[in-house]
Amino acid sequence: MRYITCLLFAISCATAGAADEYELQYPLGLKPMRLPKDNELTEAKIELGKQLYFDPRLSRDDTISCASCHDPKKGWSNGDHFATGVRGQRGGRSAPTVINSGYSYFQFWDGRAIMLEGQALGPIQNPIEMDLTLEECVEKLNAIGGYRKQFQQVFGTDVTSAGIAKAIASFERTVLSGNAPHDKFKAGDESALSEAAQRGSKLFFGKANCSACHAGPNFSDAAFHNVGVGMDKDEPDVGRHSETKLLGDRGAFKTPTLREIARTAPYMHDGSLKTLKDVVEYYSKGGHSNPQLDEELFPLKLTAEQKADLVTFLKEGLSSADYPDIEPPALPK
Amino acid sequence: MRTSILSIIALLTFALAPAWADHHVSTVVDGLDNPAGVAIQPETGHLFVSDSGASRVIRVVDGKAQDVITGFPVDVYGKGPMYNIGPLGLLFLDKNTLVVGGGGLKDGEELLRVYKVPAAGEPAIGADKMAASFNLAENDDVKGEGNFYALAAIGNNVFVTCNGDDTKGWVARATIKDGTLTNYERFLATKEATEVDAPVAAAISPRGELVIGQMGEITVPGDGLLTFYNAHNGKMLLNLATGLSDITALAYSPKGQLYATDFMWTDTKEGGLFQLISKEEDGKQSIEAKRIETLDKPTAIAFGLDGSLYITVIGTGEGDAKGGKLLKIEPGL
Ligand code: HEC
Ligand code: HEC
Repeated sequence: MRYITCLLFAISCATAGAADEYELQYPLGLKPMRLPKDNELTEAKIELGKQLYFDPRLSRDDTISCASCHDPKKGWSNGDHFATGVRGQRGGRSAPTVINSGYSYFQFWDGRAIMLEGQALGPIQNPIEMDLTLEECVEKLNAIGGYRKQFQQVFGTDVTSAGIAKAIASFERTVLSGNAPHDKFKAGDESALSEAAQRGSKLFFGKANCSACHAGPNFSDAAFHNVGVGMDKDEPDVGRHSETKLLGDRGAFKTPTLREIARTAPYMHDGSLKTLKDVVEYYSKGGHSNPQLDEELFPLKLTAEQKADLVTFLKEGLSSADYPDIEPPALPK
Repeated sequence: MRTSILSIIALLTFALAPAWADHHVSTVVDGLDNPAGVAIQPETGHLFVSDSGASRVIRVVDGKAQDVITGFPVDVYGKGPMYNIGPLGLLFLDKNTLVVGGGGLKDGEELLRVYKVPAAGEPAIGADKMAASFNLAENDDVKGEGNFYALAAIGNNVFVTCNGDDTKGWVARATIKDGTLTNYERFLATKEATEVDAPVAAAISPRGELVIGQMGEITVPGDGLLTFYNAHNGKMLLNLATGLSDITALAYSPKGQLYATDFMWTDTKEGGLFQLISKEEDGKQSIEAKRIETLDKPTAIAFGLDGSLYITVIGTGEGDAKGGKLLKIEPGL
């Protein structure tokens, strides 16, 4: 099949180089990712995406890159409860981790973008993040010979916004975390988790009800739920409701992954909970009551020891020794 | 294992005559309040419907609804839209014995009830006049169960989809004995098997496998699964993505074709009746869901003795009128 396609599109295949195709390696515990048909992974595309991801020239004043807010040194988030963009401007939501984001169909806390390709151009154009129009961004990058050359190699065109999105998304798909003690334990290594973490795991997947939403290989059902965060405010962030207008989606946010969760404090869409202890305490009380509170939230009546065990499981069980600590590449000139 | 999977595939395969070529949909009864279950009485062929929001089970004779069992408890499902629900799944053990899955009580207190149904023309009985009833209470390890949505029977076993413990996604099982049920217990943890929430639809394949439609998340389109289990030991045989969003019902036609309804919570205008057809994609067994009819919030289906397909839909009422309907598709599917 591939052979026939190449015959039909001999030119682009020759330049893109079918031999270049990249096999994603999935760490223990993760499953194959659904890849979009029109953006296959190649080594060169991933490398290009990595440069774009770390390049502050994608912002108006050359100060902010994707990595400013999704920093590999900070769990691919930013260690702050809100994000800071160009000219020190602050947004109203915390920066989620990029780790395993390739598994989500819906992107952003409210799911307003579809797949990573649909997400990547958002921050570039956001006036309080990177603040460039797409035309400006494309023009800026086309003036950099190293980018023009790579775009020609990878896409057979000069720099285009679609190409930027595809390259960044391809890079993001390689930012994976698995093979954590939890995965090893599940695969049969009984020494992988401490006694306390094992008790915490049992609670997580049982009485504490966490896996009702934090389910599957990525500890997210990729769906939207109201867990009450921020719903005690006069004018709360309505989350998913702004997209769907369904009453039931009021205050609902996308269930985040919990892999590498120990690295991404503070927590929740508004960064309102500082530590994992605070998070477990919050759930144990059943969340801020409100009409759209998810049925799966209710007071858990956990003992102090159970709470501590849950925190131990989150910290110890889901932090991988193979954390994707990717260094910034040399940027093209 | 190998032969059994091949046979399952074969069951999905033969779409000889295009069933969607000509069929006629008519309304049997309207004005129903969230109908959520339909069953055909053996011998008489009378239609029984759970008129869920109206807290009753009705018999439909010559297009007229007669009360059979009234006064079921009613509860609200959903956070907006919200639906009143009472009785849900229906299943005849024999001509006079009807099993009704409840949806109007709290998890853990919810009842699966067995009734001796009055004959046509006789006065209705109260919902508390059951011959037997069963619940799945909370215990130290698991949450209580509720919303007994769909019922399917093979041999001496009745299977019931449940919606209480979202960390496990139980299908429960009861044993048929002396014309009633005994031993109602949790049987299959579908979420552990599939890592997706909410077993809702249930059917028995012509070969005797238990077939479960996993609804997935209502906020996520396209995550519905079709899963085949060994009905004796609960072993998962085959688990397939369907591309459908919120599968509410499954049934095999007299020709052995499998049909499903999709509620499509995020965009109910897209809901409908689908034929599930086997196909191969990238060398792997997969499913094509072929739209047969667009339907307004379908909830349950059953084939009549003559091969007609009966469908309950919640519909959309004008003003105060209830939009619920029992629909019929002429034999031929
Ligand atoms: C100024 C800080 C900032 C910059 C710069 C930034 N982001 Fe983000 N990012 C955020 C915030 C805040 C959110 C969440 C916003 C929301 O949900 O409304 C987010 C969300 C995301 C998500 C969604 C993750 C999920 O789980 O839903 C991805 C992926 C992402 N950003 C990638 C990028 C890429 C790629 C770039 C560079 C092109 C970038 N970000 C630049 C702050 C930033
Ligand atoms: C009803 C679904 C649901 C249940 C049950 C649930 N969560 Fe969450 N979780 C979410 C959602 C949705 C968010 C994001 C909420 C927000 O920011 O408003 C979240 C956020 C979190 C976060 C913060 C992640 C981050 O990156 O900021 C942690 C940690 C967490 N949950 C742990 C748990 C634990 C531990 C349990 C069990 C005690 C649990 N959750 C139960 C849905 C759920």
